[in-house]
Amino acid sequence: MDKDLEKLSALYDGELKRNEMQEILKEMDSNQDLKNTFKKFGVISDLMQRNSARQSSKITYLRNFYKKINPVVTNMATAAATVLLTLIVLYQFDEDRFQVNRESSLQLSSAISSDQAKIQLLNADQNIMEHMIHIMQSNQSHKSQQVSKNWIPVGFSVNPNNPNQYSNGRNNLFFHLENKQLGIKKVKYFKANNDWVYLIPLKDGRLLTAYGDIPPSIADQMIQSIYQRN
Amino acid sequence: MGVSKGDDMLITEIKAGNDMAFETMVLKYRPKLMSVLIGYTKSKDQAEELCQKTFMIVWQKIDTFKGESSLFTWIYRIGINLAKNDFTSSFFKNSKITDRLDHNQHDMPEHRSPETELMAAESEEKIMQFIQNLDLDTKTAFTLREIEGKTYNEISKILNCPIGTVRSRIFRARQLILEFMNQENILNG
Repeated sequence: MDKDLEKLSALYDGELKRNEMQEILKEMDSNQDLKNTFKKFGVISDLMQRNSARQSSKITYLRNFYKKINPVVTNMATAAATVLLTLIVLYQFDEDRFQVNRESSLQLSSAISSDQAKIQLLNADQNIMEHMIHIMQSNQSHKSQQVSKNWIPVGFSVNPNNPNQYSNGRNNLFFHLENKQLGIKKVKYFKANNDWVYLIPLKDGRLLTAYGDIPPSIADQMIQSIYQRN
Repeated sequence: MGVSKGDDMLITEIKAGNDMAFETMVLKYRPKLMSVLIGYTKSKDQAEELCQKTFMIVWQKIDTFKGESSLFTWIYRIGINLAKNDFTSSFFKNSKITDRLDHNQHDMPEHRSPETELMAAESEEKIMQFIQNLDLDTKTAFTLREIEGKTYNEISKILNCPIGTVRSRIFRARQLILEFMNQENILNG
């Protein structure tokens, strides 16, 4: 039965060889269950695409909304929304999955090119989207004492001219701490242009956002260290 | 809108007179077309009517389909043109309906009303959340297919895995979603 269903799924995607297609069409002709299942594939597909489109509208709405409420932040909000549109969702991982499928996730980053796909992958992460906009809009200085020294990756030190910035001479890193986790249970990271954003839920219920031009290879150690010591 | 790059064989079968191939195409594209038409007409009934007419025209005109656009784009254009022209019942009087249609050999799939319309927003959210929580490999292959419209071959290159694995993962995603819908009693019956 599963074999038939797998063929049905491939039929839906137009990926069957002709003989396979003829076989499954014949099967469908006399099997209402297969027809119903096929119809549901269509419903799922429609659902995925409509939600993707809805998410796109939401971002446009957000951009327009910020323009209306505060012209001062217009440029910043527009920039934030634009960055969100260019976000590439790479991976979400648990503590015990750090090294899993890294290669394929990086390949995915170059593969996902359409805004729709990015938006779709961000779907259900509205909180994250709003959080990101909040961070990008925020002019608040993030007090350096909030940042635990345990979070700072090896080789990084605070910039004497900017207590919020940490650098190893080549890469820069910023932290942002919130007293809420926005429903995020796992570490998530994104790439936005040349920067990376890491959302790290802490065990004490706060959300640490680390962002800057630090690639996952550096961030992995930082995140593991945070979890070991947090 | 996601496109299917692999409808060529289905079209060949339809052109060869394979009724089930035609019905399969209707089953596949009806939900998407209904969504578009409901959005356009703001009326479920009108959308239903236009949808039926669209597929009748598709059946009549399939021989003229040259594959310059995707099959769904072609169907979509027919549906939207019908909607724009504010088609009336005179369509049936004035149109030349083929024998095949007269004989009603190609019943549209049975439906009560648009499936996705039947689905409560809450159910939609549950399904989307479920998809979001699929394991990464499964979700990636499925999303690349459904949203990006990538072929299995393209996905296999992107994910560096055999085409058979891509096929299994996409099937697995659909299977899990269907099981979830059954559990939650969504669109059952």
